[in-house]
Amino acid sequence: MKILAHSYVCPKGTFLNGKLVYDTAEEENPLKSAYQQLGVEYPKFYKMDVLSKMAFIGTEILLPFFPKDADLENDLQLIFANSSASLNTDNLFVESYEQLKTPSPSLFVYTLPNIVTGELCIRHKWYGENCFFVEETFNPLHFSEWSQIALNKGNNSCLCAWVEAKTNGEQECFLFLLTNSEDGGNSIERELSTLIKQYRNE
Amino acid sequence: MDKPIYIQTLSLVTPLGNSVDQHLDAFKNGVSGIKLVEKAGFQDTTIPLAIKSELTSDRYNTLLREALKKAQANLSTSGRTAVIVSSTKGNIDLLPGDTFAGTQPIIHEFFPKTEIFIISNACISGVIAINTAADYLLAGNYDQVIVIGIDAVSEFVSYGFQSLFALSNETCKPFDKSRNGTVLGEGCGIVLVSTQKPDGFAVLYKGGSSSNDANHISGPSRTGEGLVRSIEKTFKRSQVSVRDIDFISAHGTATIFNDEMESIAFGRTNLDRVPLNSMKGYFGHTLGAAGILETIMSIVSMEKSILFPNLGFKETGTSIPLNIIQRLESKELHTLLKTASGFGGGNASLILQKQP
Repeated sequence: MKILAHSYVCPKGTFLNGKLVYDTAEEENPLKSAYQQLGVEYPKFYKMDVLSKMAFIGTEILLPFFPKDADLENDLQLIFANSSASLNTDNLFVESYEQLKTPSPSLFVYTLPNIVTGELCIRHKWYGENCFFVEETFNPLHFSEWSQIALNKGNNSCLCAWVEAKTNGEQECFLFLLTNSEDGGNSIERELSTLIKQYRNE
Repeated sequence: MDKPIYIQTLSLVTPLGNSVDQHLDAFKNGVSGIKLVEKAGFQDTTIPLAIKSELTSDRYNTLLREALKKAQANLSTSGRTAVIVSSTKGNIDLLPGDTFAGTQPIIHEFFPKTEIFIISNACISGVIAINTAADYLLAGNYDQVIVIGIDAVSEFVSYGFQSLFALSNETCKPFDKSRNGTVLGEGCGIVLVSTQKPDGFAVLYKGGSSSNDANHISGPSRTGEGLVRSIEKTFKRSQVSVRDIDFISAHGTATIFNDEMESIAFGRTNLDRVPLNSMKGYFGHTLGAAGILETIMSIVSMEKSILFPNLGFKETGTSIPLNIIQRLESKELHTLLKTASGFGGGNASLILQKQP
């Protein structure tokens, strides 16, 4: 197994394979700014929750690195995780019925974390397998196990993400694209934990 | 499949009872857990729900503890153990805090030090959880996985479904012509997925998969595309063919569009003549628990050689007519297909088989 490419989206900026591509540190609305810098026309972006917006941007910039000869429509598995599920939107939805006295259907549909993978599948016409896990922290071992299992089942590649929007305002989306490598059996755990530390400046 | 994977029911707690046997009686007698509940809807409206009426507070934790207690008592195997929890919302009472935070400590009261995974993938979570458990066993990481499906009824979810106009105003009538929405329910079901043959009745897990519609985040596909692809992939992985299927445990939420989508998908996969039910007329829609609850009662169907009727169905109401089970029937059931579909465009399926 090997990492083909990775991206990281947070309020400070959008990074591709470790390099800053969109600097949004000074922006009032960083994700909107990153979307505009991306230059893609996809008006649905504005309706998305924070999780989907981050994953949308992070995935768009990864597209050139997807395997060219694979049947991605069927054989790309999406494996996403975070620690607080859809908590941010959950609280906004509660506000809509408690304070504003009208339960908002447009917020309610985002009160499930796997809507993120749904949005990406719609955007890219991916019909493959999806799974969303809720974990305390980013766990490189688990991602490595899940991806290896997915590849062993016949999937060509895995798009994985740790996509988190905490109620304290912390937001990050670490995406990485995995496939089988010819030399096989490489552990990617250490690589993943180094990468996320670098992105987080830890 | 390299090695046999067994599935056994461990416990089932819903408005219909606190044991698998109580559910068998309820299903045999056509008892539904659904009733009208005053002031449960937005602005104190009356809505139908399948709730455990003896629970007044702490619904999620009580359901979980009750089911875990029974599961612990019924577990006959041992070895390297993991737990997978399937839930859409976790314990919603914990809002504005983290709704999944309280789950692991409760599980550890019953199964100390086990690795716990939580899957939150809308209404297909339960089927994905069983598939993931089998994957982990085949990879050799564990000897057994305890799979828990749980969701509790809450104003949060009720108001949300009301805002989408997805709720029925009376009862849940999957696939029926007069269906007008789903009914929410609650429960906790636990199954054992194991490489060891457990004591008592167990069936074989043959394979499973998921697929996305790539179409809409909250509306079902008009063509059933994702469900078709998942069913086809599951057949391939299970090395089972359409004519082997004796029974389908469908999703059947009783919303107009979902049931129509399923009928199209079953038509496209030549499964429209196979006896089929949705169990939403008994349990309501229990979201993240649904796949587990319905798999449990499907295993009971195989054990007792009984086809349970699709409660609430009277007249064909889908453009592709399905072979909906209308009365209790004795039938030897060898192979079954379980399907689920949900928000986020997800679809999942799995195949179970009676041991030879």
